[in-house]
Amino acid sequence: MKSTPKGQHTRRDFLKTTVFLGGTGLLATQAGVFGKLAAANAATTGANGDTYELAKPENVLYTCCLQCTVACSIKAKIYDGVLSKIDGNPYSPANMVPNLPYNLPPEDAVRVDGKLCPKGQAGIQHAYDPYRLRKVLKRAGARGSGKWKVISFEQAVDEIVNGGQLFKELGEGRQVTGLKDIAVLRDAKLAKDMATDIADMRKKKFTVAQFQEKYKDNLNVLIDPEHPDLGPKNNQFLFQVGRIHNGRIEFSKRFVNNAFGSVNWIEKTTLCGQTSNKAWLRSTMDYKDGKWTGGVKAPRPDWANIEFALVLGTIVFEANYGPVQESEPITDGLVSGRLKLAVADPRLTKVASKAWKWLPLKPGTDGALGLAMIRWIMENNRYDQRYLENANSAAAKTDGETSWSDASYLVKIVDGRAGKFLRADEVGLGSKEQFVVYRSGNFVAFDPNDTQKPVEGDVLVDTVFKDIQLKTSLQLLREEAFKRSLDEYAEITGLKVQDIIDVAREFTSHGKKAAVEFYRGAIKHTNGWYNAQALISLNYLIGNPDWKGGLVKPAGGLDYVGSKPNKPYDMSKLHPGKLSAFGVPITKEGWQYEESTLFSGYPAKRPWYPFSGNVAQETWPSIADGYPYPIKAVLLSSHTPMYSVPGGVHQLRTLLDPQKVPLLIACDIVIGETSMYADYIFPDITYLERWTVGQGPHHVRVKSTAVRQPVIPALTETVELDGEKLPLSLETLMMAIAKKLNLSGFGTNAFGSGMNLKRPEDFYLKLVANVAYGDKEGDVVPDANDKELELFRQSRRHLSPAVFSEQAWQKAVKPEAWRKVVTVLNRGGRFESADKAYVGEQQRYTLGSIKRFYIEEVATSRNSMSGKYFSGYAIYEETQDSMGKKIEVEGDLKLITHKEVFMTQSRTISNYWAELSIQPENFVQLSRQDAQRLGVKNGDKVRVKSHSNPEGVHELGNGRQRFVEGTVKVLEGIRPGVVAVSTGYGHWAYGSSDVVVDGVVIKGDPRRATGIHIQPIFRLDDNLRGTPLSEPIGGSVSYYDTWVTVQKV
Amino acid sequence: MSELIKEEGPQKGAGQQKVSRRNLLADLAKATVGLAAGVAVLSASAGQVEAESSTPQLAPSPAPLAKQIPQDQLILRMQRELYKALQKPAEQRQWAMVIDQRKCVGCSSCTVACKAENKLPPGVVYRPVIEEEYGTFPNVSRRFLPRPCMHCTNPPCIKVCPVAATYKQKDGIVVIDYDKCIGCRYCISACPYGARTFDWGEYYTEGTPELEKYELEPAFEYGEKRARVKHNSPINNTRKCHFCLHRLNEGMLPMCVTTCIGRATYFGDKSDPESLVSELIGSSRVMRLKEELGTEPNLYYLV
Repeated sequence: MKSTPKGQHTRRDFLKTTVFLGGTGLLATQAGVFGKLAAANAATTGANGDTYELAKPENVLYTCCLQCTVACSIKAKIYDGVLSKIDGNPYSPANMVPNLPYNLPPEDAVRVDGKLCPKGQAGIQHAYDPYRLRKVLKRAGARGSGKWKVISFEQAVDEIVNGGQLFKELGEGRQVTGLKDIAVLRDAKLAKDMATDIADMRKKKFTVAQFQEKYKDNLNVLIDPEHPDLGPKNNQFLFQVGRIHNGRIEFSKRFVNNAFGSVNWIEKTTLCGQTSNKAWLRSTMDYKDGKWTGGVKAPRPDWANIEFALVLGTIVFEANYGPVQESEPITDGLVSGRLKLAVADPRLTKVASKAWKWLPLKPGTDGALGLAMIRWIMENNRYDQRYLENANSAAAKTDGETSWSDASYLVKIVDGRAGKFLRADEVGLGSKEQFVVYRSGNFVAFDPNDTQKPVEGDVLVDTVFKDIQLKTSLQLLREEAFKRSLDEYAEITGLKVQDIIDVAREFTSHGKKAAVEFYRGAIKHTNGWYNAQALISLNYLIGNPDWKGGLVKPAGGLDYVGSKPNKPYDMSKLHPGKLSAFGVPITKEGWQYEESTLFSGYPAKRPWYPFSGNVAQETWPSIADGYPYPIKAVLLSSHTPMYSVPGGVHQLRTLLDPQKVPLLIACDIVIGETSMYADYIFPDITYLERWTVGQGPHHVRVKSTAVRQPVIPALTETVELDGEKLPLSLETLMMAIAKKLNLSGFGTNAFGSGMNLKRPEDFYLKLVANVAYGDKEGDVVPDANDKELELFRQSRRHLSPAVFSEQAWQKAVKPEAWRKVVTVLNRGGRFESADKAYVGEQQRYTLGSIKRFYIEEVATSRNSMSGKYFSGYAIYEETQDSMGKKIEVEGDLKLITHKEVFMTQSRTISNYWAELSIQPENFVQLSRQDAQRLGVKNGDKVRVKSHSNPEGVHELGNGRQRFVEGTVKVLEGIRPGVVAVSTGYGHWAYGSSDVVVDGVVIKGDPRRATGIHIQPIFRLDDNLRGTPLSEPIGGSVSYYDTWVTVQKV
Repeated sequence: MSELIKEEGPQKGAGQQKVSRRNLLADLAKATVGLAAGVAVLSASAGQVEAESSTPQLAPSPAPLAKQIPQDQLILRMQRELYKALQKPAEQRQWAMVIDQRKCVGCSSCTVACKAENKLPPGVVYRPVIEEEYGTFPNVSRRFLPRPCMHCTNPPCIKVCPVAATYKQKDGIVVIDYDKCIGCRYCISACPYGARTFDWGEYYTEGTPELEKYELEPAFEYGEKRARVKHNSPINNTRKCHFCLHRLNEGMLPMCVTTCIGRATYFGDKSDPESLVSELIGSSRVMRLKEELGTEPNLYYLV
């Protein structure tokens, strides 16, 4: 060990606190660094011909990665009770193509390893992090003071539930409202009735006065009886969560929405690809019973067969969904000559470096590039007219297509703007659920889903019928594209006209075996929605949906929540006393401003997001503004807004203000950059210690359902709850709160008579059973034989009784399901064979249905701030704030950020093998021209400043601050005028700085504090008091619209 | 690569080497029989473990892959070829690796997988990926070069070892006998490829609240369980890539090969004309590093 500087406590002092992972059982180290345990191993060192323990089936467990969200299936190899190695699971088509047959016995599979990325390889260090928490902490100073004390789990749960003067000993006399006084609406029938009436109130079919009269005896449960649509006081509990996967989503929603009764279950999705998700979803929706419904959030290129791809703003070898699945078919295509690739990105990413053409466009002009290509394609008639003329299912079928588009559908032009599609009843041609096309001089009404009578329409129409001006969807897009010349587009994008033409020509030279792929770089802008629509439209123009080598649907996983008839557990029904959460979410998502009782003209006090969900950046500023209502308690899990939200630190004052946030609870694996400001931190377990069921990867063309299960004993403290010994975790915390509050859906008879929910596996193994029974009658996995059952036991022999007890697990499912569950767990999920991906020249799992150039429900909605209508089709728009005011040039460099393949944003700094070995710090990456202009060179320190942070200061709370400074790296592979900074460094918590626990100083690891954290610099919206610029439809935070100046320090 | 070039500290460790270390790999016959026996315990179906023999060859220890396992898959094809090669006497197989630079996506998964597999401490890296940028804006390219040991046919490193601790096996793999190595580090200087690094006895989690157990658990290099504790080898030894010899002996491909997400790394017996690596070595894109030195690497690149 290194010597201890004077005045600091030693590691041994620290171990006495036993708060962190230190002290969890590594007793050997207490007897000296290399204690007895290690010496015992040394005795066998070098024994001639030692077996390779990692190739023994009883030392292998299959589970699911969470180092990023792709959810690779992984193979955990355990030796001596310690997770020793992680590889890809060869049973899964996500990690080996073609994958091993599902019926192959595990002992025959054990010597085959699948592929995995560097993050996944380093997952061991995520779990075995010396800064892991194992006991509950309560702050022993002001929020963010870094002073903590250990308290018992029982006491902590008691305090947060009952409230009171919780911080009296710190001189804070205020009364904290406990959860028991927040979850006041407990009557399931009352909640359901109120929810139904609020739904009518949104449609203006029920008034506030009627509501007040009907519920006059129960108005006290509401946040504000004058605005009943804000919902019950229960909504003043916010659960904000970051990286969470299927299964844990359902577990936590069961608690938050259906037991606690709060609508505020908010994920961090708008920090990620939400605008892309939502734009794709809307662009692929079906039309059923007069409504737009369904949709697919992430159609992707069929990399294995594609011949040309244009990739914008997504680093498919480094991030996206994800490198493990995408890299192999792309490199194979590039080397075999099958694939030609063009990449539009201001930075020469790793994938751009392999491309036929790199288009270093200006940030935020992806939509302009898309429209430029659309213009050229339409001018040169290089679109798939046959595909686009098909107006309904029957017409598509006639042409051998699985899908058709709305290109020919007539849109009404009212007062010069495009509004809704014309319905047949409006012109006396048919019903109100039929659309109308124009064909050979006739107007034709049709049902888009008609499979019998083919209807085709002209795609470029501008006409008047019965005094209504009408244009087709494609006509509207064409007119937008033709508003600018190619020269003007070249000027906007900073590209050469010839390059745009070359890419457009190549894109339209491979029939349906081409696609445009885009993600964050294209959509994390204030104009991101329209950028997405332009790029989606390009795909539709060549009619590539569902074709081999075209645009394809992620096949996803099997139904794990049991909604299909053959399933053993329909989880939605297994909740007696289930509450209906209702009311406006704190983020005002899923609601039109105009349908709420808060409507009072434009601008609204804060933005509403009718087309988005999980609008993460909106929570804290909304809490600060008390709009739409104040919050009383927050539970944060796997989410770190102070680190990961652009400009998020501007809300630190909100977090630190007990008036605005009276009770701040975190459930975290370490003291992180946000949990450090909490009142209480409850330890959570990592993905290698816990359950989740049902995650499916994007870039797999067959059904793939990964199961996450504990592969190592939980490292957190074991507690007793309701007679069960359990490791501390988010699940344990929720079960304990539910028990204390006597909430429905947890504990004894939680699922129904005789069906308890007292252990996580009581819940999760039911989901596994649903997977085991398949989606169709008879599609059930075989029972594990005795040999497999024995392997199941043996491979879990290192797990603690609090985690694994065969008896306890077996009790969670019906006896006849048990051996099927074992079959699934022994393979880490359920995986279809990769060779089932295609039927002839098309995909087996199809997008089908209408592909939409025009989104009428968006076109008829207004921006709640500016009051202006949105556009239904792709347009090019400059960067603007929430009031529609253009963001002028405010600096000499545009900031972009990115992730490296060996990291995720906030939680891989513990990965010494990967992030910290491969690149120990990140850089301020400048072009050679800009570096020369600024007089800086490699290794120089620079400070970064912006309009919203003119001094380049990062406030850390309690009077501490630092400058936003980093080390220069000069590149050729970046567009001049652009500065790139990767995320993932510049930590100030997560084990990087000292904390005090029970009076003992725990030294941070300075290796974790290196590099620059750029988030405090991002451009804020001047109208919204510490909120980053955002995209108003899909709800994404803007990441790439900030002008900065860079100054040598 | 932060760990590629490490400042050399004062020489340490040499005087602390155990005097009577077992001479393991020098006696290949004994070692291989032992390995075979170990494997026999593991996989009862292996069937034909060769009887103790005085000929210095590795017994065909692992079982072949099950017939159900896909045949048309490059990785599994290589794994089958590996099994085939293991059936031959060691001197009749020549292990070789081929890295397709056009397929390497620079992810460093191989680097990390190798670190995890071999429990490599700070400062020790067997397979760095070196990144280079060429050209000027906007005509720029990035190239990625994974650079493990070249397993040279004429390795300069073995000539300078004063105690013959590093030597070339009959199957082409350049190995280090940790028990013989005195930590002089001459070989580090002699290697023209920078493929060797020194184990200074450090740990990643040293100085944190806990020295993590995973760092103290044994690796399986050379088919031995060696825990990096006290001053035991491989602490104070030179270390390098060994093509995951311990995995080869189990019929498994090197870690960098299986984990590669761009499918850029290939491995096999180049003395088998039917093998995938033999096919690839015949490519017009093939090259080796520093050919002019006459080292004749068994590590080929496709460029």
